[in-house]
Amino acid sequence: MRRGQFTWMVVVILAIIISFVLLYPSIAFYSGDPEIIRQEDPSRFFSLKKRALKLGLDLQGGVHMVLQVRDPRGGEVSSYVQDQVLEKIRIRVDKYGITEPEIMKSGADQIVVDLPGYTDIDTAKTLIGSTAQLQFHLLRSREECEALLLAMDSVLAERLETGEEEVGEEAAATDESDTTDQALVDLFGEELADTAAAELDEEEFEKTRPFSALLDRFTGAWYEITMENFHVAQQYLEIPEVQAVIPANHTLMWGTRPERLGDRDFQTLYVLNSNIEMTGESLVSAQEAYDQLRRPVVNFELDSNGARKFASLTGKHIGEPLAIVIDGRVESAPEIQSRIAKNGQITMGGDATISEAYLLAVLLKAGSLPADVEILQSTVVGPALGKDSIQKGQTAAIIGLLLVVFFMAMYYRLSGMIADIALLLNILFVLAFMVIPGVNATLTMPGIAGIILTVGITVDSNVLIFERIREELRTGKTVRASIDAGYDRALLTIIDSHVTTLITALFLFIFGSGPVRGFAVTLSVGVFLSLFTALFITKIIFDMRKKYKRLSI
Amino acid sequence: MMRIIKETNINFIGSRKFSFMFSGLLFSLGVLAFVLIIIGEANLGIDFTGGAEIIGSFENPVSVDELRNALSEVGHGKAKIQSITGEGFENSFMIRVQGSIESAIPETTFAEDGNIVVNMVAAEGDELGDLLKDAITSKFKENKFTLDSTNNISAKVGEKLTGDAIKAIVFALLGILIYIWIRFDFRFGVAATIATFHDVLAVLGIYFLLNREISLLVITALLTLAGYSLTDTVVVFDRIRENLKQFRKRTDYPSTINMSINEVLSRTIITSITTLSVVLTIMVFGGEVLFDFALALAMGILVGTYSSVFVASPVLVEWETRAPKRVK
Repeated sequence: MRRGQFTWMVVVILAIIISFVLLYPSIAFYSGDPEIIRQEDPSRFFSLKKRALKLGLDLQGGVHMVLQVRDPRGGEVSSYVQDQVLEKIRIRVDKYGITEPEIMKSGADQIVVDLPGYTDIDTAKTLIGSTAQLQFHLLRSREECEALLLAMDSVLAERLETGEEEVGEEAAATDESDTTDQALVDLFGEELADTAAAELDEEEFEKTRPFSALLDRFTGAWYEITMENFHVAQQYLEIPEVQAVIPANHTLMWGTRPERLGDRDFQTLYVLNSNIEMTGESLVSAQEAYDQLRRPVVNFELDSNGARKFASLTGKHIGEPLAIVIDGRVESAPEIQSRIAKNGQITMGGDATISEAYLLAVLLKAGSLPADVEILQSTVVGPALGKDSIQKGQTAAIIGLLLVVFFMAMYYRLSGMIADIALLLNILFVLAFMVIPGVNATLTMPGIAGIILTVGITVDSNVLIFERIREELRTGKTVRASIDAGYDRALLTIIDSHVTTLITALFLFIFGSGPVRGFAVTLSVGVFLSLFTALFITKIIFDMRKKYKRLSI
Repeated sequence: MMRIIKETNINFIGSRKFSFMFSGLLFSLGVLAFVLIIIGEANLGIDFTGGAEIIGSFENPVSVDELRNALSEVGHGKAKIQSITGEGFENSFMIRVQGSIESAIPETTFAEDGNIVVNMVAAEGDELGDLLKDAITSKFKENKFTLDSTNNISAKVGEKLTGDAIKAIVFALLGILIYIWIRFDFRFGVAATIATFHDVLAVLGIYFLLNREISLLVITALLTLAGYSLTDTVVVFDRIRENLKQFRKRTDYPSTINMSINEVLSRTIITSITTLSVVLTIMVFGGEVLFDFALALAMGILVGTYSSVFVASPVLVEWETRAPKRVK
């Protein structure tokens, strides 16, 4: 054995050792149940996790979101605004306690958020997609609400009558208005609409008081509507004629979430005074808690400027309800009990849970987004799908590998087995390369496909070499000369053919996203490393014997 | 020594009339598919059209028809419903609704006669998934439906993806043309690019004929097969270049090229077999996510092998016959 060869052998053996050292954390982390390691030794769990091969969202589960940043005034989104929105989202995600988020800019006005391992899409949507603009409004008086209800009923009734030519019927409907008024009184008397409807001709009531007919309860400055009627009510409110009868200083706004009363679910429609009394900009901290009745609340603290404003607002309106509005929805409208200055409390509306209060506290603490965002894509990969993908990827990889290994050994005998060694080392090196600190590539499902495909492409180098050696042998050359000539002449072909694959992989990486990038990475690394494994390593093995009488090929 | 094929002397170049006709057919099919994709008429995945996909499991068995009935109540009776099996999946389904044009949420409006009419209006991807989920949970109240995965995509994301995919393909082809131009010469570069372009379009065309969904992963596969088919072409070209140096004066151009193809034929076939076998493994064992990806690759390997023999090299011959450069 020549000295140069010896050096190369040492290099190869070193590379193998380094690969195993690099891959040890991944093997330790993924071979057992990560949850068990976490319970037994949390510090070891985190140290292993940090050094183990990173799995893509499609394999370990998680949330992926694409957000469109919109300028509220409809103009172009500047990169400054994009940066600010990104920073705000980062703060929110950190404060909420989601680990290892990946938040990136995409194009000039989009933001991509990846939350590996996190699978609660609804919370993620609220946490990331809501503007979190806090506002305080007073409510309109009971009399004003009644008047508005009547006005809306009358335009709706007229609208619904259109098309019915018989004027007589319309007149008849007007005649009966006394009775329906009586029914309304019953309704206003906080009786259930069912009772009211039973007392009078239900059909007639729906015709003349279409909006009131949808209401289940009317209590002071808000209407309560069952979920069955919620959608129709929403549509009614969008009709231009209905919009036209709502005075400018009145704002109709829905509650944040439905409430369950007995066996029925309600949505609440509030009638607000349009004037914004105060915003949440002077808020300095927020914390979820329970009130005396064990209901979830968010306690907040204002700066001195805000405290002064808030004290004057609450001092003037003791006994009146104050609506707490977040992003165009009324969270709740509790009655002002006393003058409040620095420390306020937000009662959570509907059947809120403490985790919803926590989410709101995080949003308020992080502050509102400087621009609106629209969720263009929201993807969540659940744990079952992730596990299933890993399982299938593993099976496919092992079977694919065995097929090729077996074929090569059959077809090229001992030489084929040498190629197989190169093949296995290639996979080892690709995986090891991915966990090199600084590289930290992510393995995705298409990435696994890339590795499997690399197997096919890697053997191509050896096929080229072996076919060439066979050709040389046929011309009557000695084994030694044939091997050398085979390698020599195949070298340029192999380089040329691999470079073309690398070029396509490069553009896939540049223009691809998420999983596709994972594919581009494993494919190009695999092809690149195969130059080393399929050319160098096999040659070293062939050169270990100096004289060949015959070659098993 | 085990050999699949012995030394051959098949006249590949002689049959180029037929192969050009066949390739022309594949090529036009691909162009047709490409045009249809651009105008949005092809069977595109939700990556491109927008839409929603949800995967979830019922506590107790449910038939596809029952599920379809529940979905048709919200106007999505045509949703793609697929039963899923595997570890952790029991009574599980994947439901996919494509495109924000067909996708709909009910909207109540008034008809002329005063009746309330429920219309279907376009919904953005984000609302669509919730609509499907709500429709299922309200219909199967007794049978708990647990969601495992969802994917809601707005059509706006698709526009960007389509643009990126086209850019990737154009730049990759240009890069390849330049590389081969430098390494071989201009004619080889053009011939290789034509062959590669042919392969990408052919697979796209076959995909279109099979009416299989064209997803982002399928586009990725198209690019990969561009790389693969090139590898094949380059190997043949390399041998042609080598043989042209030695035989330039003694033999004529077509037969040198034909000889070169024959010489590397065994390598071409063996590599195709090994690569094809791993791709078929992905198809069989890789699951739903990778099936279409692997299918596109498998077709790409077949077409790529064919094109390096029957397209790239004959183009060189045709060019040389029409505008002689090498043969004196």
